[in-house]
Amino acid sequence: MLEVKDLHVSVDGKKILKGLNLTINAGEVHAIMGPNGAGKSTLSNVIAGRDGYEITSGSITYKNDDLLEMSPEERAWAGVFLAFQYPVEIPGVNNTYLLKAGVNAKRKHQGLEELDAFDFMQTVKEKAKLVELDPSFLSRSVNEGFSGGEKKRNEIFQMAVLEPSLALLDETDSGLDIDALRIVAGGVNKLRSPDKAIVMITHYQRLLDYIEPDFVHVLADGVIQKTGDKSLAVELEKHGYDWVKENK
Amino acid sequence: MSVLTQTRQDALNLFEKLGLPTQRDEDWKYTDASRLKDLLEPTPVDENIHIKDMGITGLDAYRMVFINGLFAEAESNLPEGVSILSLAELEKNSVGDDAEGIAKLFTVDTQAPLINGFNAYNAAKASDGAVIILADHAILTKPLYILHISNQSNVIRHSFMIGQHAQAEIIEHFISTGDNKALSNSCSFVALKAEAHLEHSRIQQEGDKQSHVARVQVKQCKKSSYTFHGVELGAALSRTDLVVNLHGEGASCDLNGLFVLGGRQHADHHTRIDHKAPHCTSRELYRTVLDGRSHGVFNGKVLVHEGAIKTDSNMSNGNILLSKNAEIDTKPELEIYNDDVKCAHGATIGQLDDKQLFYLRSRGISAEAAQELLTFAFADEVLVAMRNQTVRSYVEKAAFAKLPHSDDLEEMLGS
Ligand SMILES: Nc1ncnc2c1ncn2[C@@H]1O[C@H](COP(=O)(O)OP(=O)(O)OP(=O)(O)O)[C@@H](O)[C@H]1O
Ligand SMILES: [Mg+2]
Repeated sequence: MLEVKDLHVSVDGKKILKGLNLTINAGEVHAIMGPNGAGKSTLSNVIAGRDGYEITSGSITYKNDDLLEMSPEERAWAGVFLAFQYPVEIPGVNNTYLLKAGVNAKRKHQGLEELDAFDFMQTVKEKAKLVELDPSFLSRSVNEGFSGGEKKRNEIFQMAVLEPSLALLDETDSGLDIDALRIVAGGVNKLRSPDKAIVMITHYQRLLDYIEPDFVHVLADGVIQKTGDKSLAVELEKHGYDWVKENK
Repeated sequence: MSVLTQTRQDALNLFEKLGLPTQRDEDWKYTDASRLKDLLEPTPVDENIHIKDMGITGLDAYRMVFINGLFAEAESNLPEGVSILSLAELEKNSVGDDAEGIAKLFTVDTQAPLINGFNAYNAAKASDGAVIILADHAILTKPLYILHISNQSNVIRHSFMIGQHAQAEIIEHFISTGDNKALSNSCSFVALKAEAHLEHSRIQQEGDKQSHVARVQVKQCKKSSYTFHGVELGAALSRTDLVVNLHGEGASCDLNGLFVLGGRQHADHHTRIDHKAPHCTSRELYRTVLDGRSHGVFNGKVLVHEGAIKTDSNMSNGNILLSKNAEIDTKPELEIYNDDVKCAHGATIGQLDDKQLFYLRSRGISAEAAQELLTFAFADEVLVAMRNQTVRSYVEKAAFAKLPHSDDLEEMLGS
């Protein structure tokens, strides 16, 4: 589904990713861990199409298309979704309205009819229930005045409505309380399917108890240093990142 | 000479003394009023205006219509038991002691801030206006919608006197027909007694050859509250002086302004809030969205007087320039003469936020629609404070129509 090859990315002349390789197949769940500032958010932003990153070499192929040639909205239409580490507040833009616009833009692009307003609201309510998002959040401005945890929950709610093929969750677990973590993880698990892939960026092994990954990667110094299964996360928790670098 | 005639004559003398403001006046630095000189004279009613279906439709309100500055009684619908009168009628029928009271309605307070020649001219030559006297404890059960329609120069002068504990909502709407070059010169005087409340909207939507000069002067007694919504969508040139005197302890005002301009439009609001008593609150939010070669001017001055302790004042002005030829001059000013106050003010001029744009696009909204959506949301935030949803959605639609918008966005907002 996603093939990142020898990716080099700089920001303001500073090299962040230095030849990163990553292959993700449909049906898989990947976890990416790594020290602060390693470039995890950079990778997810580059996949989602954010400006301001200089891609000096390498390629990203998504479902046989050159992802780097696509605009952020085209990527969204093709099924790429990023749950942001720091979701931005957008006063004046209604949460439900944003989703409706997003869903319909995608449908239009796929040559489908717009969703009937009633059907759309049914879906929205159902998905809000899935992540136990209070319905009052539906009519509020996007993330405005939401607590840190509420913003994260709202990201997963949006993911549930938009039904992406490739979901990148950038530290969605950070800032969630214990119950919220369980609920959000439950929501993510319900979205697992053989034709979808999930990439979770996280600092905590705890999340992986709820959402079991097929692969765990360690990103440090701009490349994937090590790849393993769930047990790698346990080892990391015990030994820290220096251990990875020493035991490549 | 009767006291009324004398008062009018005094105003005319004052006008002759003051003349029209020039750009050498600090308060008129950015607005050239000289071209309005020949448009001052009010022209009587033109019977050719067809007013059916004009203005805000579907509004459940009492209604007062002014055509070229004259009250059109036949088009109006006024509540019973509330004193809502025509200034011209009052003037015509005034005798003896009455006349003195009515003369007061034409008196120019030369000590008030931002007084200018237009204001003096208004007092001298006003054709008509609404005089509203709401008794203590009275509640106007429906909003009063004052629709001004013009195709000629007009001079209009309103007085809104709201009694103790009384409440009202007044919407002034200005539209024009035809494409005459004409000037509307409008003054509204607001007096709020103790614990009175008024929500006051002014929606200026005149034609693109028209000019509009306005003064809104508010005096607030103890614990009264005043909410203002000033919307500038129309006219080639418009200027409003909004002067609020927080005179009684615990009074509060909430001033909201929105300009959506394009082409060569020019709009200027000078606002002045005087905190004269303790424990008063003022909040001001002004936003402009400027396209084409349009020019916006915002000057917001808050003056906290000695003794006005526990003043709480917050002013914010945001501006978005959609074209590189659009221009904004903004100046929030704060003068404080005591220590015990909480004041914040600031202005921003900018393009849209990159992070917000990316967020919307990452959810599948096209770059173009995302920009338009954020622009609309930016403007719409000023309108959130508007409690009347019919008026708000009317203004939203009118503002939206003036903003660049693709079919995509129209579809999205429409459905
Ligand atoms: N816009 C930018 N301007 C300057 N430096 C940037 C910018 N974006 C990222 N960086 C730098 O790139 C490096 C990688 O940042 P990134 O956000 O990808 O790290 P991360 O792995 O997600 O870290 P964390 O675990 O703390 O979220 C950091 O040193 C960061 O300061
Ligand atoms: Mg990060």
